[in-house]
Amino acid sequence: MRDVTVMSYGEAIREALDDGLTQYPEMILIGEGVPDPKTIFATTQGLREKYGAERVLDMPLAENGMTGICIGAALAGMRPVLVHQRIDFALLSVDQLVNNAAKWRYMFDGQQQVPLVIRVIVGRGWGQGPQHSQSLQAMFAQVPGLKVVMPTTAGDAYHFMLDAIADNNPVLYIEHRWLHHIQGEVDKNSPRTALTGAALLRQGGDITLAAFSHMSIEALKAATVLAKHGVDAEVVDMRCLTPLDVDSVARSISKTGLLLVADCAPETASMAHKLLSELFQSHGQHLRQPPRLIAYPNHPVPTSHFMANHYYPGAEEIAAAVLEMLDKQPLKQIVTMELQSDLAKDLPDRSFAGPF
Amino acid sequence: MTAMNSAGADLKQLYYQMLRIRRVEQAIAERYQQQEMRCPTHLCIGEEAIAVGISAHLTTQDKVFSNHRGHGHYLAKGGDLRRLLAELYGFAEGCCGGRGGSMHLTDLAAGFIASTPIVGGTVPLAGGYAWAEQMKKSGAAQGCASVAGGTTPWMEEVERSRRPEPRTPEATNVVVIFFGDGCFEEGVMHETMNFAALKKLPLLFVCENNQYSVMTPLAERQPERDIYKIAAAHGLQAASGDGNSVEQVYALAQAAVANARTGQGPQFLELHTHRWPEHCGPNEDDELGYRSPGELADWKLRCPLLQTRQALLDKRLSDESELTAMEASLADEIEQAFQWALRGSRPSIDSMGLHLYA
Repeated sequence: MRDVTVMSYGEAIREALDDGLTQYPEMILIGEGVPDPKTIFATTQGLREKYGAERVLDMPLAENGMTGICIGAALAGMRPVLVHQRIDFALLSVDQLVNNAAKWRYMFDGQQQVPLVIRVIVGRGWGQGPQHSQSLQAMFAQVPGLKVVMPTTAGDAYHFMLDAIADNNPVLYIEHRWLHHIQGEVDKNSPRTALTGAALLRQGGDITLAAFSHMSIEALKAATVLAKHGVDAEVVDMRCLTPLDVDSVARSISKTGLLLVADCAPETASMAHKLLSELFQSHGQHLRQPPRLIAYPNHPVPTSHFMANHYYPGAEEIAAAVLEMLDKQPLKQIVTMELQSDLAKDLPDRSFAGPF
Repeated sequence: MTAMNSAGADLKQLYYQMLRIRRVEQAIAERYQQQEMRCPTHLCIGEEAIAVGISAHLTTQDKVFSNHRGHGHYLAKGGDLRRLLAELYGFAEGCCGGRGGSMHLTDLAAGFIASTPIVGGTVPLAGGYAWAEQMKKSGAAQGCASVAGGTTPWMEEVERSRRPEPRTPEATNVVVIFFGDGCFEEGVMHETMNFAALKKLPLLFVCENNQYSVMTPLAERQPERDIYKIAAAHGLQAASGDGNSVEQVYALAQAAVANARTGQGPQFLELHTHRWPEHCGPNEDDELGYRSPGELADWKLRCPLLQTRQALLDKRLSDESELTAMEASLADEIEQAFQWALRGSRPSIDSMGLHLYA
């Protein structure tokens, strides 16, 4: 039976952590700021009060050591969820993630395993700058033994978190900060996801938009306006990175014959290359013309909003590329106009007033 | 092993354990030349007293983590000799099914969780394991079961043959991490000491200070100060001693393990010793000249086995004929173990990709 509640992406994460702590007595929630007054953008609110300071706790500023400590606790049967408020800090723990967590089960011949969740948030806007807004999903997804997910909707945010906690592998759970406020349906009774598979966010027959994380939201915005002008785009959300669900994209392009991939990462660091490579190896015959790639420029994002506001491509760029691919350039001006918003370009929503 | 009484009744047992490790390492060195054990192998000849003196106080419920030079730690903790050797040969019967080699050992039934070769890599893992043991005891993690993966029938058979020793309900399992003086320079070392002190973890840090990181002497890497005092500054109970005296290691470990077990927080022992062979491989390398002239020879005079053997004879705790019999019995055990390992099977190529994900 369905049990649907509408909540924000951030609330869905809090709900999943709460349910996880109830369902798994061996779960620990740890990270810089987890129990502080701001509670990781309210995603850990009330959890220390409910489950106690032994299971919901802050940590020393020692990302690599604490990742190793969480791996050790996982080997002993705990289910740690380790939070970094920005993914950039997870780089300090790459040794433990790559040398230990990812390989432990394999190198000890399946005798041991690491049920660990690393929850990381990708920043954007309000001057997050070069070290608070990196897109490192492809780098982590290149490591065999790690599972990497980037939920886009509130429903996936809830289920992926709960399924990551239940999973007996190390799972990197990447949240884009600009998704936190977006409302969606959460059906707690829907079946487990296995942390695999893409999601069809919108059906359409004219072109396939395969997008990652926050870019899926931008693709949906573009598709909504394009639809008013007779262009019917299909949006596939590439929410699981290991493995990439290439088959879902292949099914879509076998229908549309056109593909645009949009990733929230610099072009060289994009998962799009992996997706395109796999598609070309087995399904290239479906494409009527070369695919397009929308990604960030190949340099860090600067802090100043005067520059950063021109760093991020979004719905306008996606729509313009779609119209070019369909040879409907005359529609560009009107579509672009309809996609424009009076919201400042460095803010995710009207309620946001900085600093994180 | 029972506690050593004032008459040193178990000195013979400590000697036996050290001799066993020495003879295993020598047998590996001898056969390594045959080019069939094809993995980087770091022998612990000269450093046996530390592993033995520490593990004498541990039960199978206590856990050990180790590093690249881990054979002695593994054997002293009760790790299966046959499966260690099979692992060196790359056979399916090896303790990691051939996926690890000398630098990746495990024997869960014996409480030897793991050794790995990234220096410092296992230090925080030991901290995390001790943290989990503490939470399980406090009831913070009720219902927490050990998350073991799948095992093959013959592995289960090996594990069934061992029984955990009975423990009093109030005792805490202790976790031990072995590392070297080089590892003390790693960041995770200090991150783990900080957290261990913060949480008063039942964790024993054992620093085997053999003065060399590969071939680089301590003086080129660290300022002149005592390693254990840095640990004390982190809030650990710390002491140092002669790592070549098994009696001294035993006595220091007795207090440290008891403290860790009874909730007095993390303990740290800096034990001075010296590696005899080359850093990695079966040979000696004194001709390379990175050690001071006479340094190795001096340490050999302080051989942990030689000292203990003499003490056994002096105290009339043993005699030549008993020690000769001990050698013969070990030679037999080691030969049998090699025979068992050499009857091992090649892991199937089809299995190469297994066990990446649960």
